[in-house]
Amino acid sequence: MSNSDTIVEVRDLNVTFEMNRGQSRVVRDADLDVARNETLGIIGESGSGKSMLASSFLNAVVEPGVSTGEVTYHPDDGEPVSVLDLSESELNRFRWEEIAMVFQGAMSSFNPVTTIRTHFRETLQDHNRDIPAGMDRARELLESVYLDPDRILDSYAHELSGGMKQRALIALSLVLEPDVLVLDEPTAALDLLMQRSIVTLLRDLQAEYDLTLVFITHDLPLLTKLADRIAVMYAFNIVEIGTTDDLLYNASHPYTRALLDTTPDLNVPVEEMNIIEGSKPDPVDHIPGCSYHPRCPMADERCRSDDPPMMTVSNSHESACFYYDEADDAVTISAAPETRPASGQSAATDGGEN
Amino acid sequence: MSNERPDDDLETLFDADIDREPTPRSQRLKRQFDLYVVAPARVAMTDWRAVLGTAIIAMYVLMGTVGVWLVDRPTSGDAPTLVPPFQNPNYILGTDTFGQPIGAQLIHATPDMFRMVFAGAVVSIGFAALVGVLSGFLRGSKIDTILMSITDIIITIPGLPLVIVLIAIFQPGDPYVIGVLLGLDNWPGLARTVRSQVLSIREESYVEASQIMGISTGTILRRDVLAQLMPYITVNAALASRRIIFESVGLYFLGILPFTTLNWGVMMNIAYEGNALSKPSMYHFLAFPLLTIFLMSFGLVLFSQGMDSVFNVRLRARHSSTIDDDGGPEP
Amino acid sequence: MQGNYLAKRIGQALLTFFATVTLTFVLYQMMPGGPEQALRNQILSQQMGSSNTINPEQIEQLVENYTNLESDAPIYVQYYQYMSSVFLEFDLGESLYSEDTVTSLLAERLPWSMLISVYAMVIGYSVSIVLGAVMAFKEKSRFDSVSSVVVIGLNSTPYYVAGILFIFFFSIRNNVFPTGGRYGLGIEPGFNPAFMQSIALHAALPILSMSVLGLGTALTMRGNSVRVLGEDYLRVAELRGLRNSRIATQYVGRNAILPMYTQFMIGIAGVLSSSVIVEEIFSYPGVGLLVYDAIQVRNYPVLMGSLIVFTLVTIVAILIADLTYGFIDPRISSGGNNE
Repeated sequence: MSNSDTIVEVRDLNVTFEMNRGQSRVVRDADLDVARNETLGIIGESGSGKSMLASSFLNAVVEPGVSTGEVTYHPDDGEPVSVLDLSESELNRFRWEEIAMVFQGAMSSFNPVTTIRTHFRETLQDHNRDIPAGMDRARELLESVYLDPDRILDSYAHELSGGMKQRALIALSLVLEPDVLVLDEPTAALDLLMQRSIVTLLRDLQAEYDLTLVFITHDLPLLTKLADRIAVMYAFNIVEIGTTDDLLYNASHPYTRALLDTTPDLNVPVEEMNIIEGSKPDPVDHIPGCSYHPRCPMADERCRSDDPPMMTVSNSHESACFYYDEADDAVTISAAPETRPASGQSAATDGGEN
Repeated sequence: MSNERPDDDLETLFDADIDREPTPRSQRLKRQFDLYVVAPARVAMTDWRAVLGTAIIAMYVLMGTVGVWLVDRPTSGDAPTLVPPFQNPNYILGTDTFGQPIGAQLIHATPDMFRMVFAGAVVSIGFAALVGVLSGFLRGSKIDTILMSITDIIITIPGLPLVIVLIAIFQPGDPYVIGVLLGLDNWPGLARTVRSQVLSIREESYVEASQIMGISTGTILRRDVLAQLMPYITVNAALASRRIIFESVGLYFLGILPFTTLNWGVMMNIAYEGNALSKPSMYHFLAFPLLTIFLMSFGLVLFSQGMDSVFNVRLRARHSSTIDDDGGPEP
Repeated sequence: MQGNYLAKRIGQALLTFFATVTLTFVLYQMMPGGPEQALRNQILSQQMGSSNTINPEQIEQLVENYTNLESDAPIYVQYYQYMSSVFLEFDLGESLYSEDTVTSLLAERLPWSMLISVYAMVIGYSVSIVLGAVMAFKEKSRFDSVSSVVVIGLNSTPYYVAGILFIFFFSIRNNVFPTGGRYGLGIEPGFNPAFMQSIALHAALPILSMSVLGLGTALTMRGNSVRVLGEDYLRVAELRGLRNSRIATQYVGRNAILPMYTQFMIGIAGVLSSSVIVEEIFSYPGVGLLVYDAIQVRNYPVLMGSLIVFTLVTIVAILIADLTYGFIDPRISSGGNNE
């Protein structure tokens, strides 16, 4: 994965909420590069700031939250776009045309009083697209998510099942041919079978439409089947990032290792990852030093006073831990394979598909 | 005040099914009291509308109880006619065309107003709760169909003309009777609300659980449903009271209700018929009754609005969820 | 499914109307001494002043004309005759003290009452909807809190108090609007600008004071809009980069107004009710004033007839609401269930 072809570049991103009891910082000085055509997974406990990070890609943090820092979008051709500096009308054009987002509320993502057709049509209309051509594309997209366009287009949301709504929403998200699709827990409300079929579908769509996918979840096993790279978030920042194999076989942050340890069988999704000892950090508190030190078995004086920067583990792998090279001894993963397979995709992925 | 009434009734209801529970009576009562009286009251204190509304209503209650005792009942010729307000400390609000102090008239009209409001609120809330709960629990049955048809019919008949016909026939003078007549057209809307509330409560798991545990329908009704309906009943009691005040004062003002009692509407009628609008010397005779009605209903509306937002979980849920979406503090 | 729903709704409307007419029959019977006694007393007391006297048979005949009730017949025959004259002959009886039938009196007055009622409703609800929506968009701002207090204040003002204040400020203090009547003296009725203008001027204050009735809706609209603004589909619409105007109307507006639609139509019952008091204050000769005048002289046939007509208007309004609701809310028409 070369860094030269970055499509979204995040630098020093902060998301803050003003609350009665003080300022709540739910993303803190985050840096992230998303490569063109990759599938990047972002994983973290609920409340780690992962949704906020992803929403910032479209400058769409819910009010009264504010994103500051830099989010730069590099289109295929043309000048880079500074997303957080766009005016309201520029932002309206940017959203869905360049980056689209499907989020966890998909079950109620459609206006209950208009048909699915209207949703496609109004999206095309408000982005000044050619409507007949756009509707043809809509039919094609619906077919590629295994829905019958004739039936779906004239339906209302309440007439569709959860899985159908989710797939219709994915089709809707691609109608303006965006380059990046951000998916925030898109499968959270679906059953296992439907989750798996959506994942397969996303992989097919990515190949077919040259998409860059950013997939946010707290479901690690699901992610390992889909992602090229995984970023782990803890306490409002990214603590480790690397290829899926890097993370699975050489996790170098004690938090990531603890995560893997609490996920005994990677083929069984774990709904809640709250099993790690200690309490979750409060977004209003400022934690001196490494944010994980209160829960980390390796923590020493240095961890309590200094905030570790991202340390390079290998050229594709970074970890925010002073002792990244000692983590594998300090935090053992009971169920994980000791060595990575010699070649190809990860064993977990292959295993999952059988 | 009529709004507190249902609470008292509820407490006695809770009293009645005490033998079912192993917890001692006093402790249980205390817990119920905490849950249904103290907790909402504490939340209500945080809403300025509820506080101000309660204060205004309390002022009128004082007027109708202590006030009547402190101030003599006015009679014609007590004082010089049409004394302007804020001139004579004995008649702070001035006097009317018959030399009756206006302040004293306003005060002595209050008890009858409360009687009317009380009768009307009890009739409309009682009817609505009875019909709504019964119909909700017997959903789909014949009784439900019949009750809802009757409700739909009465909801359709314009209230005031019906009341006027009833008044024309019966010529009521007693404030309780007037209150009941005015309350008659008031219940159907609330009955429908209560019914849909009962239906949604019935869907909730704990009611189902109680049914599985073999607790009788009557007990569930008393313990869970009535408790859940209290917010609606409180809010609607305030609104029903306001409506009864509007209508009764309006009918007195028009002279449709017989002038058997002191009433703010009667005062307005006399002033208005005396052409007070074009005589500056009479302005106060019309203005103070108007202000009295306005303030009373302002208090009731504030109270109902305040209680509504206190009880309205939906509104609160949205406010907290904007922060809680992700990355926010866990609840 | 659709046809079934239609038939059911129309059946319900007919049943309601039937029940209302029956109610008026019952009310006649509930009069002290029964209808003929009550009316006879009424007629006799009116006759006292004048010199000509009427013999008892004539009175008997008059009572029957006035009410469609034949007093010696058994009650079920009376009921049958009463109902058949209302339903088959559209005969609501005859007004006491005048030669007019109740039907013709009402037919002459009703358009004027409808004029002010409909305008009052449209104005009251439009203002409420816009105000409520803006309050929700600016939730917790100063505009929101100030408007809330103003709306609560207006909501606490009885419409007749509003009427009195309007007369005071606009008619007596400043001679902007006339104090009463339907149109100015000496203006020739017809489709001419002077007549139209005069109608508008005379209707303005009654409409304004009745529209105060609808203003409480602003708070309902605000609550609904706040709820819709928190819905997922609204966030998705924003993410989709839709135009703000589309989001405001198609998403927030439509979903917030929907739950209030039927309430609007039932609201016409409230507005018509208020016309009795408002029309008296403004001496506006509509059905309300007819009722007011009728009650002064216990003109029972007119009272009953008005009650029937008021109810009929409301029934029709609710029927229209029910039948059109399916067009604006697809969830109802497909389910056919109006819970």
